[in-house]
Amino acid sequence: MISFFLFIFSLILFSLFSYGFIDPNLIYFRNIFTNFAFQQRELTTFIYGALVLSLFISFYFIFKKPKFDFKNIRNLIILTTIILLFSYPATLSYDIFNYITTAKVTFHYQENPYIVFPIEFVNDPYILFTRAANKTALYGPFWILLSAVPHFAGLSNFVLTLFSFKAFIALFYIGTVYLLQKIDRNAVLFFALNPLVIIETLVSAHNDIVMIFFALLAFYFIKTKKLFSIFALIGSILIKVGTIFLVPVYLLTLLNKVKGEKVYIYATISMFFVFLLSPLREELYPWYAIWFLAFVSLIPGREKMKELLIFFSLGLMLRYIPYMWSGNYFGATPLVRNLLMVIPPILYLFSLWLKRIYRS
Amino acid sequence: MKIGITLIYLFLLASLFLVTAKESFAVSSYVLPYPSVMPGNIFYKLNLIQDELLRFWYFGDFGKFHYNLKQSDKYLVEAKTLFEYKQYLLAHKALLKSDLYFKNLKPILTKAKEHGKDTSEKNVLLAFASEKHIEILTKLRIEVPQVFEWKPEGKKPKNLKLMESLGESIMIRESI
Repeated sequence: MISFFLFIFSLILFSLFSYGFIDPNLIYFRNIFTNFAFQQRELTTFIYGALVLSLFISFYFIFKKPKFDFKNIRNLIILTTIILLFSYPATLSYDIFNYITTAKVTFHYQENPYIVFPIEFVNDPYILFTRAANKTALYGPFWILLSAVPHFAGLSNFVLTLFSFKAFIALFYIGTVYLLQKIDRNAVLFFALNPLVIIETLVSAHNDIVMIFFALLAFYFIKTKKLFSIFALIGSILIKVGTIFLVPVYLLTLLNKVKGEKVYIYATISMFFVFLLSPLREELYPWYAIWFLAFVSLIPGREKMKELLIFFSLGLMLRYIPYMWSGNYFGATPLVRNLLMVIPPILYLFSLWLKRIYRS
Repeated sequence: MKIGITLIYLFLLASLFLVTAKESFAVSSYVLPYPSVMPGNIFYKLNLIQDELLRFWYFGDFGKFHYNLKQSDKYLVEAKTLFEYKQYLLAHKALLKSDLYFKNLKPILTKAKEHGKDTSEKNVLLAFASEKHIEILTKLRIEVPQVFEWKPEGKKPKNLKLMESLGESIMIRESI
């Protein structure tokens, strides 16, 4: 129960801490702007590290000792969603501003976001804080279409739009958890409460969860509603192209060549492969781990592999530390970032090795 | 005597300038595209179909602005290339097409402004484009004949008033 409370307490603190990252150009939050994260870099990094560790430790113990019945887990998921829904999203990534501005270009200005740059709207206040204002739409057409919902729900008010986007992403998180529970109830805990998943989805509001929701929907209905299932997979691919790597597994499952847990094993391998390829395009972003974590959770047993992935998730969340500390992406930052990423899983493997030696 | 020699020197120097001087044009930093597929190429018709399809892709005020400017640039370059190869009929057609797209630009920006969009940067871009187009058209005016008689097979010959057309094209660009 201590881990349960530690988890919730860390979430509340993280939610409050996130407001220290308010962008100086975000005129809509001028009243609560403190410049904390950019002035107190060392302290910010320390708090971040402590909160992430606290979340992972409590999650690890919740995962290791699943005495809690499913109702308790469900309540914890709901509580997590509510707490993090009110956090400030541009803490670790500015992608939410790209989503909002792209939606504005499409639905407010009624321009093609694949042709017109946000920066072309010279006096638009959103350009002040949108990082990819000099790029055309970075996401698939289905995502742009879906983003109409939070855009119009925002009623042309920035703060309302920001939280509409967060709520929209949170709905897909709940939807994904619901699908996991429908496929295998035991899969829920590993995915839904993994600190990487909740921070990247409920705090940073990355649309990867939407892509994964449609991919899972495709697999869930693969036998019962084939046409719907195919459309769901196409929808997923048209959000972010990543799930195109699921097509071979999907076709093999559709043709009954692959069954049972093998479906999720192959899906995990496919998505992990894309994850590893991502540095070729840009870099290894922590939220890309959501792509394979969703499928890993559906593989029954394999506790050691899942524990290793929890440690890897921790390593991925530590990748933010060098930039948070130094404020630049160059110099030692790339090397330290990669070191921090691999240290936790290496330590875990080392502890397993020590245990084996001790037993023998 | 000395004055006479100086005057002769000055006259010779001035003559040298007059002989070697070339007509100069205002040079704009605006960059035109490379020539694309030319009429007669099997892909030219496919290119025309692609252009028509792209018209729908370039929706919105700024989208339409980009589309029309791109097309106007493209056909101007096509006209220039064809004029250089003395393919006057085809060049004349391309020039008229370029004019047609260029004429659309100002009304599009007016509409964009009515829709509450800041068009100041687009107006600057249009001014640069116009300057570059005029630079090309002025050069062409020196190179092409005043009138070209086109004799299609089995039909009446037709006079293409090339100089007049180029003059009109320049006027269209100057009027923005």
